[in-house]
Parts: sequence; structure tokens; C-alpha cells
Amino acid sequence: MPRGRRRTELLMLVFAVAVVLLAYASVGFGLNGKLPPGLLAYGLTFAGLVLAAHLAVRRLAPWADPLLLPLAALLNGLGIVMIYRLQESGRGGNPGNVISTLAPTATAYQVVYSAVGLAVFVALLAVIRQPRVLQRYTYTLGAIALVLLAIPALLPASMSSVNGAKVWIIIGRFSIQPEEFAKLALAVFFAGYLVAKRDVLALAGRRVIGIDLPRARDLGPVLLAWAASLLILIFETDIGTSALFFGMFVVMIYIATQRTSWLLIGILLFVFGSYAAGKLFTHVGERFNIWLHPFAGQNPSHNAYQLVQGLEGMGFGGILGSGLGHGQPYFTPLVQSDFIVTAFGEELGLAGLMALLLVFGLIVQRGLRAAIGVTDPFAKLLAAGLSFVLALQIFVIVGGVTGLIPLTGITTPFLSQGGSSLIASWALIALLMRVSDTARQPTPQPIQDEGMTQVVRTG
Amino acid sequence: MNRALMRVSLACLAMFLLLLVNVNYVQAFESSGLAGKPGNVRVFNQQFQYQRGAIVAGGDTKIAESRLIKGTSSYRRFYPDGPVYAPVTGYDSIYGATGIEAAEGSELSGSAPGLDVHNLISLFTGKPKQGASVYLTISPKAQQAAYQALASKGYVGSVVALDPSTGAILAMASYPTFNPNVYTTLSGVALDRIDKRLRAEKSQPLLNRAINATYPPGSTFKIVTSSTAFSTQKVANTSSTIPAPTNFQLPGSSKVLINDNNEACADGNPPIIEAFYLSCNTAFGKLGIAVGGPALHRYAGRFGMNNPGLRIPLPVSPSVFPLETDPDFVALSAIGQFNDQVTPLQEAMFAAAIANGGKLMTPHLVQQVLAPDLTVTQQAQPTVLATPVTPQVAGNLQQMMTAVVQNPAGTAYDVNKSVAGVEIAGKTGTAQNGVNNTGLNDAVFTCYAPTTNPKIAVGVIVQGGGYGAATAAPIAMQVIRAYLGIR
Repeated sequence: MPRGRRRTELLMLVFAVAVVLLAYASVGFGLNGKLPPGLLAYGLTFAGLVLAAHLAVRRLAPWADPLLLPLAALLNGLGIVMIYRLQESGRGGNPGNVISTLAPTATAYQVVYSAVGLAVFVALLAVIRQPRVLQRYTYTLGAIALVLLAIPALLPASMSSVNGAKVWIIIGRFSIQPEEFAKLALAVFFAGYLVAKRDVLALAGRRVIGIDLPRARDLGPVLLAWAASLLILIFETDIGTSALFFGMFVVMIYIATQRTSWLLIGILLFVFGSYAAGKLFTHVGERFNIWLHPFAGQNPSHNAYQLVQGLEGMGFGGILGSGLGHGQPYFTPLVQSDFIVTAFGEELGLAGLMALLLVFGLIVQRGLRAAIGVTDPFAKLLAAGLSFVLALQIFVIVGGVTGLIPLTGITTPFLSQGGSSLIASWALIALLMRVSDTARQPTPQPIQDEGMTQVVRTG
Repeated sequence: MNRALMRVSLACLAMFLLLLVNVNYVQAFESSGLAGKPGNVRVFNQQFQYQRGAIVAGGDTKIAESRLIKGTSSYRRFYPDGPVYAPVTGYDSIYGATGIEAAEGSELSGSAPGLDVHNLISLFTGKPKQGASVYLTISPKAQQAAYQALASKGYVGSVVALDPSTGAILAMASYPTFNPNVYTTLSGVALDRIDKRLRAEKSQPLLNRAINATYPPGSTFKIVTSSTAFSTQKVANTSSTIPAPTNFQLPGSSKVLINDNNEACADGNPPIIEAFYLSCNTAFGKLGIAVGGPALHRYAGRFGMNNPGLRIPLPVSPSVFPLETDPDFVALSAIGQFNDQVTPLQEAMFAAAIANGGKLMTPHLVQQVLAPDLTVTQQAQPTVLATPVTPQVAGNLQQMMTAVVQNPAGTAYDVNKSVAGVEIAGKTGTAQNGVNNTGLNDAVFTCYAPTTNPKIAVGVIVQGGGYGAATAAPIAMQVIRAYLGIR
């Protein structure tokens, strides 16, 4: 008898909320020995929000994976806790320097963003009752993605550039990062496009050293994606996102066609592209230089400063960490966005950081499990692409701030301060849960099947 | 498509494994390396957020403590009697530490492994982290007397006092010295300027002469030469006579060894005790040749020389007795000249070993370490460093050293009057110095008191001080008087 496992989800949610509340209280004790003032307000809001999401899932996706929501809620909650901790450093007699970029209202805003994120999560589950509904909008979403990506490049710097990255749309006090949403739209577009074209793309051309090369005329799409990601790199100076999109495309084309040659072509293009970019653009070459010699004296100190601060912070935390509120993460510039993982490493230690990485890993694993379980090729590709791009994003940003790979500024899903990333991450979880719900749904009886297939009106 | 999906899953697994391995590398293996990076602002900042442990002398005299800077949450180091204790405490600055501040740094800062449990308890009980207090063997009375004796006359030199029965260091003074309070500034620029100035000063105030400068021991080395002669049965007892000519033409050399002021030594064949309290160079030059270079080298080592590994816990520069076989060099080194080099600490160790019946105790500065909750995390246990001579030979030397001070003809008879009621034993030294002995003589004195049941052994070296009996011995008397409470 298949079960929806919604009770498991609730239990895990209660656990996640408890961890978040304890962490929040711990920040207050760590900073000034008192319970933080917002414990009740923020705590109840957060608990209420995730409970509402859980109730919605009971109705909208009763068969969905029971771990995805609690895992995402845990990360979101811990992100709020860390932003509160960073916001409070140096304020009201707490130890530390005031982080000028973090307003005293940052935590409140992050809670509001979480509410919006969970609303989007529920809305997507409500609107998209079957993954294949999305397939109809393949090209529409592709076009939307392109427009979203192009806007910051076309806008003047005053309306699109923050700290050198030209990836924003800024209107007055309101700003969004369109690429976070373009990422999701592109995943849908790639999945729809590749499902339609995969037979053609899988056609073999010549065979070289045991590898079936595709026909030259079929190289079009991959070259297009490559060029598009290079354009993002050049016009928006955003290496991370460009690598993310290209990686997602290559992996999805590989899954769709099962041809290793596409993977090799993609990797070759990537290596060539990054080498050329390193040579052509000084800021890219500098990233390589900082990565190879973060502590080298010849590096102008301000260039490697952020990375070095992050690394020294993590080293300072050691294995068990300094404890929330006891570390000095405020020394790392902009620690609340790209480098928030190093703040976790410093205060929760190696133990806490590994736990966080495992939570991310579990989300990816549950997503891939849904992809394997679902029969519909579109849903399969979509879930695989989304799971992989999440894994790649974690790899790029965590690897970047810990010195494993050259640093490229992208957000850490769920943890980094900012609404766009958080809302897009919740949307991603919604899509994965929708696929998972489809995959785990018990096959209906043949007679009932006739009736069930009529569900079209939601589209 | 599932086969490709499985491969992609493996790729995701690989990415997460790489991340996990890398954060392990950064936070577990590289952690201390990162902490040691120059300009690590966290490590730099942390030291002022916690109260560093105090350094305490004589059980209750705080000679270094951290005080809260008014109106801030930062602490600053303070040395109440800075210059007096500078050779002991060293300093703790924002860029580095010396002395006990460095040697016991992990205890004082609270990061020593022995304090882990304590820190963990503090973490749970919400108490702020605090360093452990280091209690020293230093006696404030002896230390003050030693410092004043040097400073009042402006002598360049050092005094070290030991408890012969335990090896506890009672005083360790060096002059000229510095005020460690100037190193506690939180301004890097100011610190750099101060440090450069002190380093450039000709009088070398930063040099801890007690353990990091070496001088020729001069005649005080005759303690070792006599010990070797008794131990190797070249001389039977203190009344055995030894040849002591007025002039001694060194074999294989044009140099002629003479006694002080070119005097004759008694009748030219005195008992060894008389040659010792008169400090005849010819007698001990000949005796040195008789016992041989290798034997002298061996016994010098037993008395603590030629030991590059000595820590008190500050690292001690080795005192050197070179291994010689040429008779002329052996004769010179037997009277503490040629290439013999000793620290003032070594001088004190000569007397301490004899006073303690031939057992040389390991010199040490730290009596105990107390965690902030006053539990003892470290307690000094007196250990034997070496047993250079038997109790019987030590008895002979005690007799001879007592004669140096008590016999009216002894070289240090003059100081005997200054210490009423306490019998002192010692040996003077007046070491020739500089290229071709052009420098002023260094005054050297090593002694212990009282002669029965010795409580203190003192070594004094005054650079360019002239006669040991005239310059160095009175300093030792002041320290002994202060320590034993004699007015």
C-alpha cells in the first residue's frame, strides 16, 4: 500500500523549526547573553509559514517526497538566523563591527522574502498540477528567460550594477536579480526543447576513437547556449551564472541523448571559453590569480581580501566552531551574500558546515531520485536539470569561497541574503516536489485512468 | 535516460565529496596554518576580547595582568613593576611575545590543551573565556634586590638566584633593561617605532643577559676543574698539595701563565684548598693539564654546560666548554679563559650543584598554572638535571668555597662582614675579556648560603666590572640578604 508520508514530513518540519529556533536563541545568548527580542515574532511567523506550506502540500502534492520541504525550510531558517546574527554584530553593544551594508531591518525583510518564497511555492504547486503542463510553454519560457537575462545588460549601470556585477534590475528601492528566475525558465526550456529534439541530436555522425560525434549541423543549439553564456559573461561580468547555465545545458543534453560526445564537446568548449576569457578579460584572469595565490604579497590586498577573510574565518572556527555569536564573521566583506557559508563555517565549525552541505546534498539527491522515478521524459529531464543546477550552484559558490575553485560571485541558495535567490529557490523546490509527486503517485486503476487524464483545465 | 541520470548523480556526489574534503582541509588541517598567517585579523583581535591570565611572582605579586580599557570591551596588558621583571615576563604585544608571555602563551591565553575541559564548561555556563594564571618561582624580594643592585650602580650585567634543592629560579635580573609596558600599545605604527628604537639601542636593553648572553667564567670555573680532579682521583682531598709555581710556561706556547698581580702562590706547593681560596691560576692550569681536556669537557657537561636544549621554559643559550687536547689550551680553559663561555644562570648552577650535595636540579621558572576556577592544571616537580659529583666531592668543594669567603686570605673575605650571622660559600672570578684581553675584565661571582642547609645559590656577572670580589660579590650579598631577610 503506497503512502504519501505526509506525517513524516510534518515530523521533520517540526524538527527543522526546532533547530532554527534553538539556533536563533543561541545567537542572542552568544551576542549578549539574552534571548533575542524577535524570537517570538520571527519564530511564530516562520513556524506558521512552513506549517501552511505543509498543509498546502497535503492537498496539492500528497505523494511528493516528504524530505524536500523540511530540508529547504531548515536551510531557509538557518539563513534567517545567520542574517540576524550578522545584522546584530556591532549594534547595541554587541561585539564586532557594524556591517554597513546590512540594515537593521535585514532580518525582517528576509522573513518577508521567505513568506513570498513559500507563497510562490504553494502557488506553483497549485497552478502546475502536472509537470507536462509546463511543456506547452517551452518556447514562451525560453523567450522570457532570454529577456530576463538581457535586461540587466541593456540597462544603464545605475539601474543594473551592484558591486561590479551587472545582474540587477533596480527600480528605486526595489531590486531583483532576474537571472535567478531565468535559471528556472531556462531549465523548462531546455527540457522541452531537448525532449522534442533528442532523437535528432542523438543521431551519430562520424566515429572518432570510439566516440560517436554528432553531425556538424546539429551542433547549432550547443553553440548557441555557449555563445549566450559567454555574452552573459562579457556584458554582465558574471562568470558564475554563465558557467551555471552552460553546465546545466550540457548535462541536460547528455541525459537526453545519452551521447558522451556532447559532454566532451561541452567540456572542451567550457575549457576553451574560460581560458580565452581569462586571457581577454583582466577581471577573469585576476580571479584565477587570486585562486592560485590568495596569500601572495603581489596580489593587491583588496582583491584577495574577501577570500582570505573567508578562509581565515573558517580556520578560526576550526572543527567545532566558535559558536553562534562568538565568532568574528563581520570581518569578511559582504559576508551575508556570497560568503555566508564561511560565516557558518566560522561559527558552527567544520561539523556544522558539513551538516549544511549534507542538507544541500540530500535535496539534490531527492531531486535526482524523483527524476529517476518519473516516467515522463520531460519531467525527468526537468527534475534532473534542476537538481544538477542546484548541485552545480552549491559547488561553484562553496568551492569558490573555500578556495577549491576560482571564486565567482553567485548566491548560496536559501542562505544568502536577498529575495530573488530565496524566492527562486522555493520555486525550484516546488517544481521538484511536483515531479516527485507525479513519480510517487500510485498507478490508478485502468477504469479510473480514463477519468484522470481529463485534468487539463488547470493549464 | 536513467543510465545517464545515474552518471549525473555520481557527478553530483563527486562534487559534494570534493566540497566536503576541501572544507575538512581548510577547517581541520589548515586551521592552525591560517591562524598563523600574518595579519589574521581574527586571531589578532581575539587576544583583546578575553582576559589573559596573570603572571604572579612569590604567590601574590602580580607582575603582569590584563586590565579592561575603560569604556571598551578590550583588555590591555599591564606590567606593574615592568623593568624589574622584564627579563622574566618579557612582553605581550599585538605582533608577538617574548619571555614567559611567549613560553606560557597558550596557558595565559587559555588555548592550551589542558584547559579545554575548563573552556567547554565556561562555554555552557556562559562565563567569558579567560586565560590561566602562571605562578612563578621568582621571589619578589630577591628579584627587587638583584635589580636594584645592578641598576643603582648602572652595571651592565645580570644576576640569577636559584633554590639549590629544587632548581626554582628565585631571581633573574638583567641590566640595562626595558619597560614592557611600552609594548602593550594597540597601535601597530607606534609599536613598530618603539620596537625599532629599542632594537637599535647600543645598550641592548632587550637582551636577557641572564640566559641569552655568555661571558667567560674566569676563576669560577676552578670549581669544575677541582671537581674533576677529585672525581678522577688526581687529588685525594682538600689538604692534598698541588704544584703552584709563580710562573708557568704553557707547553707548546710562548705564553706564560701567572697569578693575579704576578704573585707567588703560597710556598709554591700549597694544599688545593689554599690554591682555591687564593685562586692561583698556575696551580689550576697545571691541574687542568693533569686531569686532561676530555675529562674537563665531560664534567663541564655534567654541570650543565654544552646543553643547547635547556628550557626554563624560556630557551637558554648554551654555555660552552670546548673539547681541547692541546695542553696550553687545556690549561687556559681550566681557569675559565680561552673559549669558555657561560650564562649567568650557569654561574648560579655551579654553586647550586655543589650546595645540593652534587645534585644539579633542573632550573625552572614556573611553579604552577591555575585555571580561572583555581584548579591546578600544571605543577612544577623538581627534577634532577644531572649529578656532576658525588656528595663526598661536593663536600670537598663546599669546604673550599666556604674558605674563599671565610678565610681571611680568601679572595671574597671582604664581603663576609656584610652578611652578619649567615655563613656564605662562593668563588670569585675576574675574567679577561676581548681580543688579546684588551677589554675590561668581567666581574664574576658564584655562591650559596647558608653553608649548612643552603637556601639560595646566586650567580653574578658584571660586564667590565673588574674584580669579581669587588664588584660581583657585593651584589650577590644584597640578594642573599634580601632573600634570607637579613638587615
